[in-house]
Amino acid sequence: MSEMRDTGGGGEDERVRRQSQILKEKIARAQGAHSAGLAGGASQPRDMTGMGRAMRLGTEFIAAILVGAVAGYLLDRWLNTTPWIMLVLLLVGFAAGVLNVVRAAEQMNKASPPPPGSDLGPGTDDDEN
Amino acid sequence: MADPNKVDPIHQFLITDIVRFGDGFAFTNSALFMVLTVGLILAYLLLSTTRRSIIPGRAQLISEMLYEFVANMVRNSAGTAGMKFFPFVFSLFMFVLVANMFGMIPFLFTATSHIIITFALAILVFAVVIIYGFYKNGLKFLKLFVPSGVPAYVLPIVVPIEIVSFLSRPISLSVRLFANILAGHITLKVFAGFVVTLGSLGFLGWLGALLPLTMTVAITALEFLVAALQAYVFAVLTSMYINDAIHPSH
Repeated sequence: MSEMRDTGGGGEDERVRRQSQILKEKIARAQGAHSAGLAGGASQPRDMTGMGRAMRLGTEFIAAILVGAVAGYLLDRWLNTTPWIMLVLLLVGFAAGVLNVVRAAEQMNKASPPPPGSDLGPGTDDDEN
Repeated sequence: MADPNKVDPIHQFLITDIVRFGDGFAFTNSALFMVLTVGLILAYLLLSTTRRSIIPGRAQLISEMLYEFVANMVRNSAGTAGMKFFPFVFSLFMFVLVANMFGMIPFLFTATSHIIITFALAILVFAVVIIYGFYKNGLKFLKLFVPSGVPAYVLPIVVPIEIVSFLSRPISLSVRLFANILAGHITLKVFAGFVVTLGSLGFLGWLGALLPLTMTVAITALEFLVAALQAYVFAVLTSMYINDAIHPSH
């Protein structure tokens, strides 16, 4: 496979074979990446600014509470059960807001993991998730 | 308004009729800027890609970068199956981006500073997610509300929470965009107003006005960032929600 033999007839074949071998590997790698993308689900928006993150968390939280309260209010008006459904749905909305924030924060953590070797404090090993 | 020294930071969001067609229906400045937004996007993308050169010029390169950017975003969030929705996400991204950027030009109207516009966009996203989710997965789409690995006796609590959480998404999607743009533009106007008010006080006022002037310049730069970032966030979240429609189980 030396450069000298490339000039000869057999060397040319060798070179072509080598090239096609490299090309085959490249195709295999690209296909691997492609099928990895096909699986999908691994969603992580890249880094945002601090304000972007704060706005995201804030709106996620408040929107859920608003939806719960408004849905409860409308159901109460419809069923004449003021104020019970609203009270319950307000709490449900609060829980949903916390859930939204936890999910959003989870994504943000995934998008920017802590640098390796940083001290995460005690107890980070024993919590699940 | 008549008094040039009176600062009215809300005035820029006023909707005015340009052409009236009978009662309650009019072509407003908001509609005009939406038409301009779509027109600019169409014209730019069509004109910059007519030559289709293999070695792209500057204009074509920008179009290609926009395409690559959104395509990668959709592929990362929703997988290759989500690329079906690439035209949808790309349209949304470009619309929000260009509408926000129109707002950064003085005297022009910002269509995205009205919640009805952003809410309409968010509802459109959710209609697409729900319809495609049911079309693709049938009733299995409802699994979105039932997280896997949860014992049956807590489901009565978890399912309503998940439903409210799902319903809150269009609200948070639209409120985030609208609030960012609205708040940014008002802040900008208020600080710029300080410059005018202080400047009318004479020499010391001129010196004092330097501070809000610096702030105005800085906030203008920040607003450009916010305008682009919010378009990006809107598109990323859209593709993540589309991912939920394709793979409903958590």
